[in-house]
Amino acid sequence: MVAKGLPVETPSRRLRAARAWRRNRFAYALVLPALLFMLAVHIAPTAAGIYVAFLDVNLFTFHLLFRAPWVGLENFRDILFESENPLRPGFIDAVRNTISYTAWTVGITLSAGLGIALLLNRQFPGRRVARTLMIAPWVVPSFVAALLWQFMWQSDTGIINRVLVDYLHLLDERPIWLLGENSIWAIIVPTIWRGLPFVILVFLAGLQAIPDELYEAAAIDGAGPWQRFRYITLPLLRPLIAIQLLFGVIYAAYQFSIPFVMLGSNPGPYADLLMTLIVRQAFTNQLIGYGAAISTLMMIAMLLWVAVWYRAFRRDLVTA
Amino acid sequence: MTALQLSPRWGRRLGNWGLNLLTYAVVALLLAPVAWLVFGAFQTDADLANGTYDFLHPTTAAFREMWDTVDFERYFVNSLVICSVAALLATAFASSAGYALARFRFRGADAFSLTVVGTQLIPGSMFLLPIFLGFIWLNQNTPVQLYDTRLGLILVYTAFFTPLSIYLMRAFFVAVPRELEEAALVDGCTRFSAFIRVVLPNALPGIIATYVYAFLFAWDELLFAATLTERNSETIPIGIRTFISNYNQEYAQLLAAGVVATVPVMVAFFATQRWLVRGLTAGAVKG
Repeated sequence: MVAKGLPVETPSRRLRAARAWRRNRFAYALVLPALLFMLAVHIAPTAAGIYVAFLDVNLFTFHLLFRAPWVGLENFRDILFESENPLRPGFIDAVRNTISYTAWTVGITLSAGLGIALLLNRQFPGRRVARTLMIAPWVVPSFVAALLWQFMWQSDTGIINRVLVDYLHLLDERPIWLLGENSIWAIIVPTIWRGLPFVILVFLAGLQAIPDELYEAAAIDGAGPWQRFRYITLPLLRPLIAIQLLFGVIYAAYQFSIPFVMLGSNPGPYADLLMTLIVRQAFTNQLIGYGAAISTLMMIAMLLWVAVWYRAFRRDLVTA
Repeated sequence: MTALQLSPRWGRRLGNWGLNLLTYAVVALLLAPVAWLVFGAFQTDADLANGTYDFLHPTTAAFREMWDTVDFERYFVNSLVICSVAALLATAFASSAGYALARFRFRGADAFSLTVVGTQLIPGSMFLLPIFLGFIWLNQNTPVQLYDTRLGLILVYTAFFTPLSIYLMRAFFVAVPRELEEAALVDGCTRFSAFIRVVLPNALPGIIATYVYAFLFAWDELLFAATLTERNSETIPIGIRTFISNYNQEYAQLLAAGVVATVPVMVAFFATQRWLVRGLTAGAVKG
């Protein structure tokens, strides 16, 4: 597009085209290195990954790599419909766990993050220090966070049971956190803990962008704190909430580090997520085609999520 | 009743102090695990196991022992080399691409932006599996060695963290006033030299923030490191797991290793925090 303005004299079309090309040529050169890398590492491999989902790459055909036998939709059929297939129950467990993991982590992180941002946005002694320090969990690498929590969750020696059982006497028995039904919470809690600071930062920036006059005018009109939150803060933060929700769900669904570091390559039926399942099947059991097929299904699921999200928040994007 | 009734001003003040206390409690709760990481690293394994914590007499034994227990130095050096080089390349590519998106309306700009966001929708495993097969194929059939080498991880990480860096850099370049370049162009600079000599220096805080940001994310990466390395180029997230699997009771060392793995990113973050937070939130606020 040609820049807007009032040209004194209209240059000839050819001259304009030549100038546009000259300007664009520079832009293309600037974009080229990033584009090449993304082509080589994201786009071409993704296409190849979808192709591999149709191959039977297992322990015996692994040496053939991309020339492994073509089996059509068999991988997908095994995962989705073949109740005889031993791999299918594991897949169903992982889908269920990934959905509840994603819903809990994103739901709690966003709502608690907004609440804490409102608290930190008030004037109080130590505001600056508190707002700086609260970032710390996000700066701890997630693998360190996972190891740290794995240690804290230990049934006999971990600090969490010490506090709950020995110091506060809230529970009579020491729960086992890292095995069985509790283990999904053992990975949800650290994820929320580590995700909160970033969400708080974004909401704080959003809260500061809301002009004080709006609140003052509403207060004059007799709006209480809840009404001001409901009719000013929340609508103005909606675009931010939308963006956080979009990426929060994607990152949570693709979570790998925390369950893998905390619970190992096989977190068990209660905490196995899709990513740990894929990596275990593809690399420990060398079922690469199977892993690629699940990855393809995950990508389709995320595209559907983006479509749903877009329908829900389309109007907010225009105002954002 | 009247004696107990508070004047509205006192009521509000009490409510305020209640909220202040809640704020402190929440911040304390967020910080408690970090504090536990640091305190625990200065305890002995026995004290951690028995609950006989001794905060008054910290010991640095765990820090000294951890380097001998596993080859932590190798993991540390690998992480440092791989992450700093990959973050540098990603920042360089993101600077030029982000500038193009911020300043030029070129054919394909929207498609390119969409691709940049689109890469975030792909599960890592989707491109990990073909990259893994491809690296193995290259190792077997060509002299190009990418599997289990630093170079292989550097290439993957560079691409991995370029898209988000592009978004950050674009936001920073939009904030650089156009007049600066226009003045440089009037003075006879070419577009390229205006970019290098005028725009880049003005976007320096943004560039540093993007570098630190890419470094932080690369430092944290586990999926590719876990699958594309075997025994030469493993990074800290891989190496640190050997503390649990092989040395189950040595939690003090594990925590000490955790502290050592956290310090570089903590320092990088808090040294550049002003710009980093602005960049991260600017990108998010503008959407």
